[in-house]
Amino acid sequence: MPFFDQLAGNLIYGAILGSVYGLSTMGLSLIFGVLRIVNVGHGPFIMLGAFTAFWMFTLFGLAPVASIPLALVLGLALGFVVFFAVIKRLINAPELSTLLATFAIGIFLEETAKFVWGPDHRGFSWDIGNVNLGITLIPYAKILAFISSIIIAYLLYTWFQKTKLGAAVRAVVEDSEGAAACGINVGRIYALSFAIGIGLTVASGVLITLFVPVGINPYMGHEYTLKAFVIAVLGGLASPWGAFYAGFIFGLIENGSYTLLGLIPGVEPFSLTRFVAFTLLLVILLLKPTGLLGGESK
Amino acid sequence: MSFMEKYASLIPVLGIYAILFLVGISIPGMWQPVAFIMFYITLGQAFNIFLGLTGYVDFGYVAFLALGAYGMAIAFTTFGDANIGFGIILIGLILAIVMASILSLAVGAVALRLRGAYFAIATIGVNEGFRYFVEGARLWGGSEGIIISRDMRNIFGREAANYISTFVSDILVFIIAILAAIITIQIMNRKMGYALMAVREDEDAAKVMGINVTKYKIMAFITSASFAGLIGASAWTLKMTYVFPADVFLITYTVEAIVIVMLGGAGTLMGPIVGGLIYGILKYYLSITLPGFQLLILAPLLVVIVIAFPEGVVGALKRRVKGDARRFLR
Repeated sequence: MPFFDQLAGNLIYGAILGSVYGLSTMGLSLIFGVLRIVNVGHGPFIMLGAFTAFWMFTLFGLAPVASIPLALVLGLALGFVVFFAVIKRLINAPELSTLLATFAIGIFLEETAKFVWGPDHRGFSWDIGNVNLGITLIPYAKILAFISSIIIAYLLYTWFQKTKLGAAVRAVVEDSEGAAACGINVGRIYALSFAIGIGLTVASGVLITLFVPVGINPYMGHEYTLKAFVIAVLGGLASPWGAFYAGFIFGLIENGSYTLLGLIPGVEPFSLTRFVAFTLLLVILLLKPTGLLGGESK
Repeated sequence: MSFMEKYASLIPVLGIYAILFLVGISIPGMWQPVAFIMFYITLGQAFNIFLGLTGYVDFGYVAFLALGAYGMAIAFTTFGDANIGFGIILIGLILAIVMASILSLAVGAVALRLRGAYFAIATIGVNEGFRYFVEGARLWGGSEGIIISRDMRNIFGREAANYISTFVSDILVFIIAILAAIITIQIMNRKMGYALMAVREDEDAAKVMGINVTKYKIMAFITSASFAGLIGASAWTLKMTYVFPADVFLITYTVEAIVIVMLGGAGTLMGPIVGGLIYGILKYYLSITLPGFQLLILAPLLVVIVIAFPEGVVGALKRRVKGDARRFLR
């Protein structure tokens, strides 16, 4: 049955891609969970990570997986800068202000990238062989991306659960006033969480490059912003772990429905797949705004 | 309230429109920039009816412009052979309103139950989902869109078709702007305006006071969406003579509308006009003097506005104006 082979192959690919999706959404969810801010300029930070990987690879021959720490540090630094320059002043402002400000920051990053690197589509291929699964070939590079995502997510999880600072962040997510009353410096937690959120996002951009052979350009982030919204809502919006699992689900749905929609004659499966994704978003928002997985959270 | 108190604030608005119109029509080469600025003023006004009056952020607002644009295009492709002359534009405008308001009713009935960030994300979902549905299911020409330039030439002749896309479409935008101003002031003067003000300040309290919050929110949503449909039909389809899904669902237009409303002052009559003037003039002349750099300059500017002037220009002015002059600024 070639169709089922194709479906199975696409689903495996979907799970691998989904792990990277999950990682790329954790930052968005962390920032929303702690600061109650939707980072509408989420995608451009992914773009910065992609360019980091691209330049490290083309200039120094550094393997993309090895660029992750660099991207993480860059992202952390950028996160602190953005937080203290803009976000800090808008913590108590109405929702509209932060939505607009983060959108403007996103545009600014995109335009700066266009100014510095030009609007061309770039790409690189990091070929280190394939593994044969019988039904499909999976490149080792993508398997490495899969493993890296899981390791990063696990490290973050351990940090949250086992360290004092992580516990402080969790306390602020639960109740920022209560946390402040317990002597937690909420302002500092805000700054730290925002920076970690951006750091994760930039780092995930590095891994995204392994899935877009020639798609690295200043405006590539837009697509990931929208996907991240769907995934974040799927995972409960305020929970980074929910987002990570939801990334898997989204990857499976995306690739599975692409294969199935391809069977319908006279339609464009690529566009319809996205339609399915956004329909899913609306349905979940209406039926269970706390997310499929985040049933307990507020 | 006397008639004067109710409607005095329309005088400066109509005055600005008259000045813009006269500048455009009398100075050679000025019609294009005036029409460009007028598009942004009108867009801001239409969006203000929802965003400004309710405080809800609709990130998918451009979908209503898109539906309006399709409405006009569909009128041409469906009734192109019916031999009704200029009646076809009227049908297009009616279709634009009908299609935009049906979508807004559907979206409003479900999404307006959500608040804040959830509402914003849901509306992005509607816009993008709709766009990919049009492309994916090959609705209305799919990703190839609808091109009506030939229909227009066939119906009106080359000369008149040209005149419609370079002049009549802009005049329509002027008319929409005047209507939007009148409707805005009517809403502000009525119970609906006060009800929405209560929603904006504290929705739960408004509910407890017995205000039918949902009804007024949906009314504002549909009104705002209908104007968006009219703008899409006139300023896009009639002017450009084509509709492409990749263009008309562009989220950038929503953001531009938000910027204009915020810049001028959300929930004020004069705000979107001041915002549209500033934004339109800046964008037009930046695109001439520094082509390709408009966004690089506008983005930091937007951040500064959000931080330093959250009430917008008109919002800040309103606090300073005293006495009788206050009637003219709302």
